[in-house]
Amino acid sequence: MALLKELLYNSGKPLSEFSSWMHAIWAGWGMPGFLLDFIFQLVIVLAVTAVLVLNALWIIYYDRKISALMQIRKGPNRVGPFGLLQTLADTVKLLIKEDVNPKKIDILSFWIAPLIIFIPTFAVFLVLPFGNGLVPADLNIGILYIIAITGLSVIGILAAGWGSNNKYSLIGGMRSAAQIVSYEIPMVLVILAVVLMSGTMKMSGIVAAQSNRVWFVVPQFLGFIIFLIAGNAEVNRAPFDLPEAESELVAGFNTEYSAMKFAFFYLAEYTNLFLTSAVAATLFLGGWQGPFLPPIVWFFIKTYFVITILCWIRWTFPRIRVDQLMEFSWKYLLPLALLNLVVTAVILKF
Amino acid sequence: MIKAPFEMEKISDEEYILNMGPQHPSTHGVLRIVLKLDGEVVTGLYPDVGYIHSSVEKMCENKKFEMITPYTDRLDYLSAVNYNWAYVAAVEKLMGIQLPERAEYMRVMLAELNRIMSHLLWYSAFGMDVGALTPIFYAFREREEVIDMVEGMTGGRLTHHAFRIGGFKNDLQKDFLSRLEKFLAKFEDRICEYEALLINNVILTARTKGVGVLDKDTAINYGVTGPVLRGSGCAIDLRKNAPYSVYSKFDFRVCTGKNGDTWDRLKLRMDEMRESAKILKQAAAMLPAGEFCAKVPRVIKPAPGEVYTKVESARGEFGVYMVSDGTEKPYRIKFRSPSFSNLSVLKEITIGSKIADVVAIMGSLDLVIPEIDR
Amino acid sequence: MIKYLFDLVKGIVSLFEGLGVTLKHCFRRPITLQYPEKRPDISLRFRGRLVMPVDPATGDNRCTACMLCVRACPNHSIDVEKLIGEDGKPKPKVSKYIYNLGSCMFCNLCVESCAFAAIIMSDEYETAVQNKASLIMDLAAEKYKLSGKKAPWWQSKFKQEEGA
Repeated sequence: MALLKELLYNSGKPLSEFSSWMHAIWAGWGMPGFLLDFIFQLVIVLAVTAVLVLNALWIIYYDRKISALMQIRKGPNRVGPFGLLQTLADTVKLLIKEDVNPKKIDILSFWIAPLIIFIPTFAVFLVLPFGNGLVPADLNIGILYIIAITGLSVIGILAAGWGSNNKYSLIGGMRSAAQIVSYEIPMVLVILAVVLMSGTMKMSGIVAAQSNRVWFVVPQFLGFIIFLIAGNAEVNRAPFDLPEAESELVAGFNTEYSAMKFAFFYLAEYTNLFLTSAVAATLFLGGWQGPFLPPIVWFFIKTYFVITILCWIRWTFPRIRVDQLMEFSWKYLLPLALLNLVVTAVILKF
Repeated sequence: MIKAPFEMEKISDEEYILNMGPQHPSTHGVLRIVLKLDGEVVTGLYPDVGYIHSSVEKMCENKKFEMITPYTDRLDYLSAVNYNWAYVAAVEKLMGIQLPERAEYMRVMLAELNRIMSHLLWYSAFGMDVGALTPIFYAFREREEVIDMVEGMTGGRLTHHAFRIGGFKNDLQKDFLSRLEKFLAKFEDRICEYEALLINNVILTARTKGVGVLDKDTAINYGVTGPVLRGSGCAIDLRKNAPYSVYSKFDFRVCTGKNGDTWDRLKLRMDEMRESAKILKQAAAMLPAGEFCAKVPRVIKPAPGEVYTKVESARGEFGVYMVSDGTEKPYRIKFRSPSFSNLSVLKEITIGSKIADVVAIMGSLDLVIPEIDR
Repeated sequence: MIKYLFDLVKGIVSLFEGLGVTLKHCFRRPITLQYPEKRPDISLRFRGRLVMPVDPATGDNRCTACMLCVRACPNHSIDVEKLIGEDGKPKPKVSKYIYNLGSCMFCNLCVESCAFAAIIMSDEYETAVQNKASLIMDLAAEKYKLSGKKAPWWQSKFKQEEGA
């Protein structure tokens, strides 16, 4: 019983004890230590991937139900009780569809694009603290790793746009590249302000810096808003979803994709949404901290709170035009983020 | 494959041609627009019409006068009654039929309800074009109520076939006026909600103010009518300038815009919905009792001659030019559709703006393709 | 400068107004009708598929094969064959009433022109079929039993409109 409580509330200790115990046995069998490490890492990666994929399926359903609530209708409610199996049905449908490859595509770009978009999204979750001690890989440069890897997905979008041999996709890809690159900068500046306040780039360190004090969302309120806006733009979600603007460009850079490749894009978009919300929850809302409930439950509650806000914004606002989007980022968000950083630095100094 | 005219062929090295083809989510119907683009800026535009041409004018030459009314519904299925009206008014003029008062008021009420229906659908479609996916659900909730009212009266939801030569076939159903009152009581608040959600949104105003500016002279030269013309500051509304039926008895104002840009056209359509609600209230209060149909001969054979009647539909001036040669089938009917003239001005106002603006401008022109192609 | 700030504040306020509208709608009852378990309430005058109901008073339809509806239909969707009796003389009854559901416009002109109120547009709107040949139907052989709201209205030859 006490073991269960410790496992839930302070997972770092029992897991490291288990790890050293296994190492002792392993060494007793005469096997090299790094092999066990490798097996542990494999298990962790598989566990994280499983959690993420299930999460992505759930978020798609959640987004549809939230949108239905706001649009005075019922969302999916036929497949399974309350429509819970809807995403499963959609995934099965996508899997059995015909994989259409248009004639003059650039085969390498076309085939590799979904992977380039998909893999960084999943790779980033290795530094997020899911709970107390539940960080798959607690890097010293945690937040820098996140910023760097999320920037890789723009290559995938460009590859998708170019390789599809379709003018609509090309326009979508170009727009998206411009958008992602310009919104990274305010995001990085805001994150810098948080790092200044917490004194470390380690993700668990940032969470620890928010214990015993009011969460960073209060002193860094402007930063929180800027992070939400920039994060929204990073993951190509409305009102910044020009690259996949349905009404103008049919489907933007994923016009020519079908079946499993489209499923990759789809899953990647929602996992990206989860990523932005999780990072926002960790940086600003205190991570996994909270009374009574196990830390991992608090983590998910806070992340879903941010996801609900982002869904609310998506279903209310129209799309921003691409040049106004750039103008907004460079002329409004960037100065505000710089101001935020300077004020934080000045206040911390004194 | 129909080629675009030769000015689209003069392409410099940096320009490319993009085809917003007949199958596109936001050309409302089968309209093909060929764009010549330099990056994101539009440098040439050519609308290619004719994909839904059904030769309805020729069909009408082979049908008797009373059979043609259902075909006029289908020209613009969103506000069908106004199109019925122009046609039956033409026949009534040639035959010299005078309608009883009650029939005239009923016609006005149904026409204004259709105008509200059309503008609500325009609002939903425009929202979807610019990326806001919720207004359609709110506007359609109102539209369902209006359609139910009209369905109770006529039996059809979109193609009502409401008007007949001489008046109506049936009187208003018993609960029409009570439902109308209930609807009008909350409609004003709903319009304010719609404006707060989409029209006054800063993202939309930034996207539509100063975009697609149509100045007065260009509009008049191209023969543009309806909300598009009124958005440029020219206060011409057929219900006031050339009042037909009993419109001269109602008190309403003509909504105009100041700058002629896209946002003005959006705002004035919301105002037009308010004015229509005002007219409906007055008409319901002034509705006289009496006959709902005039005495019409069994066989409809208008005197030989020609006539042109026009009504103010939701899109602009819809006109019917009819030539009759004394038989029971018309000799020639020509429909003057507002969307055709409104589409012709698209090129002038779009050159120089971006792709996203093309969609917004087309949405603000409120085109219905079947009436362009007929 | 003042105008810039004022515009900025107005813009942000408009965004929050939009969010407020959506939030307000979260608490309204959804307007979804769970079709096909629940069907919508069809009005009395609704123009569905054309039917030739059996008159409960006589046990047969009211059609006399006068061809008024054939002449009134704008696109020739109706074709009528008169009944030839045993003595070779045509009787005022219909033997075959061919109705083409595929080309019918649902304009109601046939119903209005019928002097005997023999046909009516029912409230059937789910008329999809699997093969095109079944779109051409013989209404006299169908022996349709009209029920629901339209029955008393048709019974009284369209004179008694109850409730509408």
